[in-house]
This record gives sequence, structure tokens and C-alpha cells, in this order.
Amino acid sequence: MTDLIGSVVIFVGAVFLFSAGLGMFRMPDALTRIHAGTKATTLGNTLVLVGIAIYHPDWSLKLLIIVYFVLMTNPISSHALAHAAYTLRGRLGLTPFFNDDDVHDRGSSQ
Amino acid sequence: MRLAAVVWLLLCLGTVFATVALNFRLRTSLPPLAEAYVEMVPRELGAPNVITGILLTYRAFDTIGEVAVLFMVAAGIGLLLGAGSKTDHVSELQREEPEPSTEIVRTGADIMVPLIALFAIYIMAHGHLGPGGGFQGGAVIASCVLLVLLAKPDYRVKLAQLSVTESLAGVLIVLVGVAGLVFAGGFLDSRVLPAGEFGALVSAGAIPVLSVLLGAKVGCELSVIIERFRA
Amino acid sequence: MTISHAVLTTGFLLMLIGIWGMLTQRDILRIIIGFALMGTGSHIVIVAIGYVADGTAPIIDSALAVSDAAGRAVDPIPSALAVTAIVIGLAVTAVMLAFALRLHAAKKTLSIDAFANSKW
Repeated sequence: MTDLIGSVVIFVGAVFLFSAGLGMFRMPDALTRIHAGTKATTLGNTLVLVGIAIYHPDWSLKLLIIVYFVLMTNPISSHALAHAAYTLRGRLGLTPFFNDDDVHDRGSSQ
Repeated sequence: MRLAAVVWLLLCLGTVFATVALNFRLRTSLPPLAEAYVEMVPRELGAPNVITGILLTYRAFDTIGEVAVLFMVAAGIGLLLGAGSKTDHVSELQREEPEPSTEIVRTGADIMVPLIALFAIYIMAHGHLGPGGGFQGGAVIASCVLLVLLAKPDYRVKLAQLSVTESLAGVLIVLVGVAGLVFAGGFLDSRVLPAGEFGALVSAGAIPVLSVLLGAKVGCELSVIIERFRA
Repeated sequence: MTISHAVLTTGFLLMLIGIWGMLTQRDILRIIIGFALMGTGSHIVIVAIGYVADGTAPIIDSALAVSDAAGRAVDPIPSALAVTAIVIGLAVTAVMLAFALRLHAAKKTLSIDAFANSKW
């Protein structure tokens, strides 16, 4: 029974990881791609590790430490990427989908 | 025309791969050479990890070749990217002031760098007891250096000192190998040092020594490669 | 259709996708990604070939005793080959990226159509 629950949780995690890949492929610019890539992969990784913990309960402590490590480092790396993409906007083809002028125009036309 | 050729090539390769995959019969027992290795490594070398025993004693010459390939790659990247002439367009983007890192990255690096370094030393030292070894530990050390470079963008990796360390590690590896030739069975035989107690940290002859030396060499090489890509 | 067939199919599929990417893409970085995909697929195939039925990892610890190691361990030689192959794949990818930097510095573009000097 625990085998079945563990396998279902691992499968849900794999679905999230696949949706992360699909999102990175279909999103229009760099910032939305970073958004898709980091949120979905963090959750997918966490669910896969939780599924393995259900499968082998005596590895729970080590898997908890790995989940902690993933939760600490994934947001930091995506923050560094997004900061770099924002700083280099306009060069290297990293123009965002909505430019700053569009936002200002919409704000001033109300 | 070109697309048709690509599709034709992929169909031929796909047929070959499908034939291999469909006619694959699962083994029920090990082949004779693998059975000999699995039985010889714990008995003669005293190392619980059979793969590290193979890589660092019985097939150690291939490991030396791989170390030579990494050394050539580090030298080649130094040639391609390290000319350092000021009219070089490669460093156009990097010659500006490096953007200071944000507080999130700095705080995260403060917490993570000691953990990553400790993990790298653990992997290198326990190469003969569990999965791990020299190459894996060296790669983790290089990722630690990369994190430091992200957190402090004006930190310059000292290329001269790293090159000296890496060459020294290489010379020491060859010296351990020659000691194996003189005192034990052959080149890079790990029985120059006593096998010790099975499963202890200091055991399995010269395999931990070779692991640490390999890890230092690979870590220095990858850090040099990262620094060359940066400047 | 066992697990080994599924893993082998995945490895071969990754290799085919990598070869397709290397041959049809125009951007240099996508060609390098295709090369890395092909390498990863071949590593999966190498390790999957060494599986013994109901085997476990060839490391002597609480899960595998010394006496029945020869009966239950997985083939260790393809795993050792895969370690070497991964390191060399990393080295070749690093050299390819250095070349990509140099090509971008020469022509200010990352498309290989700009370097098609010798058309034939």
C-alpha cells in the first residue's frame, strides 16, 4: 500500500517537472521562463523526494536534509538569474515582454 | 534536401537502436570478468566500493589518461580565452564594472559555502566506502568556487597558485604510481600502503590518498576553467 | 517489456533527439545542448546494459554482504566506464563553449549561417 502511495506521489512530481520543461519552452521571454523553471522544478523535486521517503521510511532524515537544501538554493539561484536578466534588459536579446514604457502609458492614460 | 537527409539518417539510426533495445535479454548472473572484480576488490584491496577499486587500481591507467585529458582541456581553454589583449571583443562585456551582488545571494553564499566545502571533502575522503571518489569531489569543489564568484564579483581566482597546486597534485599521483611499481605489483597498485580494517576511513591502501589527490587536481582545473570563462 | 527495456528506450531516444538537434539547429548554443543531450543518452545506455536481474549496487555495506556479492551485485565495469565518459563529456562541452565565445566575438552573431564560407 505504501508502495502505491509513494509511486503516485513520485508520478505527480514527475508531472510537475514535465510542466516546468513545457513552460520554459512556451513562455515568451526570459523573466517568465525563469519563473516557470524555478517554481515548478522546486515543487517537482520536493514531491519526488517525499515520494521516495514514503517508499523507504528509514531514509527520511537524509531526504529531509536534501529537501531543505533544495528549498534553500533554488530560490537563490533563480533570484541571481532574474537580477542578471533585469540588469541586462535591452542587451543580449533579453528584452522583457512588457516594457517599462507600456506600464507607464497605461498608468498615465487612466 | 537537407531535411530529407537528416530524417533518413535518424530512421537508420533508430532502426539500429530499436534492434538493440528489443533483443536485449536481461542477465541473471554476472559475466566472468565482473564476477572476478566483485570478488577480488574486497578481498585483496580491502575496499568496500568495487567501482572505485576498479577505477583506481585495476584500471588506473585509464584514470591517468582522463586526468591528462582534463589538463589538456584546461590548457586549451587558457589558450582560447586567456589572451588578454585589450582590443579583444570577448572581454567587452566583462571589462565594465562587475555588477555588485545582491544581499540575497551574499547571505545564501555565507550559509552554503561551508556546507558545500564540507560535503566535497566528505565525498573525496569516503571514495572507497560509498559512492564518490576523486572526480565527483573535485566537481563539487569547483561549484563551491563558482558560488564564491557569484557572491563577490570582484574576487579574482589566483590562477598561478592554482596551476602550481594542480601540477603538484599530478606529480604526486605519478610518484604514488612509481612507488607501486617499485614496492608492489605494478604501476598505481594501491597495495603500497597497508589495507587496514575493512570499512574504516583509513583503509584500502593508497586509494584514499589517490582520491584526495585526484579531487584536488580536478577541483583546481575546473576552477581555472571557470575563471577563464569569466575574464 | 521490463524496466531495462524502458530505460534503454529512454537512453536511445535521448541520443536520437540530441543528434537531431545537432544537425538541424542554427544557433550554436542549441547545437552544444544537442551534443550534451546525446552524451547523456549514451551514458544512460551504457549503465543500463550492465543490469543483472534483482541486483543491487556493487558496494559492500549493510545491503550487500561480502559472501553473496558475486551473486547479487550489478556489473561494475559499465559504471566505471560511465564515470570516465561523463568527465570527458564535460571537458569537450567546455571547449565547445570556449569556441562559441570566440565565434561570437568574431562575427557578433551566434548563428552558424554566418560562418558558412565554403558552401558545397
